[in-house]
Amino acid sequence: MTTDRLSRSVIEPANPVLNVSRSANLPHVPGIRIGDYLFLSGMGPIDPATGERRHGPIAEQVRTTLNNVKHMLESAGSSLERVVRIHVVLADIADMAEMDRIYREFFPVDPPARTAWSMQLRFGNGVEIECVALVK
Amino acid sequence: MSQPRKVVAVPGPGAKGSTAPHASPAVRGGAFVFVSGLTAVDPATGQAVRDTTARETQRILENLKLILEGAGSSLDSVVKVNVLLHSMLEAPNMNEVYAHFFPEPPPARTVCGARLPDGVKVMIECTALAS
Repeated sequence: MTTDRLSRSVIEPANPVLNVSRSANLPHVPGIRIGDYLFLSGMGPIDPATGERRHGPIAEQVRTTLNNVKHMLESAGSSLERVVRIHVVLADIADMAEMDRIYREFFPVDPPARTAWSMQLRFGNGVEIECVALVK
Repeated sequence: MSQPRKVVAVPGPGAKGSTAPHASPAVRGGAFVFVSGLTAVDPATGQAVRDTTARETQRILENLKLILEGAGSSLDSVVKVNVLLHSMLEAPNMNEVYAHFFPEPPPARTVCGARLPDGVKVMIECTALAS
């Protein structure tokens, strides 16, 4: 399997409101499909109805973000069940337990490999999540 | 290659307690094995080890070796490592231990300073070829 035989294409959310890289003119795409893998950009707590950032309680931010990740994956022919690797980045390490409480609702069995930590995030986001998934 | 992810059961040493309960230590996806961010534990008991950066690094990499082998891979097959440190001032202490684990040439790696949960000093994740 050589890389030149793997096709590379941009993937986008079906809901254009969630296409932050386009709407905010950021120098990245929502995700890339290469072969049967999807590599998603970091996603944040964007309201899928309005496109506004939702900076409410962290539980709500995590739920919104994971729903956006789910939407993005499903837009590209994948699903949460096909996530192999996930990164959860929090602005505040003290939010870890609360993040976990919501997180496990989305990955109830055989969860993906995960790394979760805290560092500075842009736009006042309390959480950002990126992942690698297989395509159906 | 269009199956769902395959979570590699790693019940043996190295896995227990190394990740949050809702993370799988290792997941097989296509040709790769994805290993969660690991923190230092005693492989016999799964008890957290809170020690120096060097000793936590040692524990994690010993456990990583076991986890990879349990997943049908090995340290030789690692392609990318991410190391998170509670302080970048500790990078030399981590490196000194790290250098003993991977054969030449070692895998691609990124190290960064981050806030880590539960007072851990080091967290290490990697991606490896499955075989």
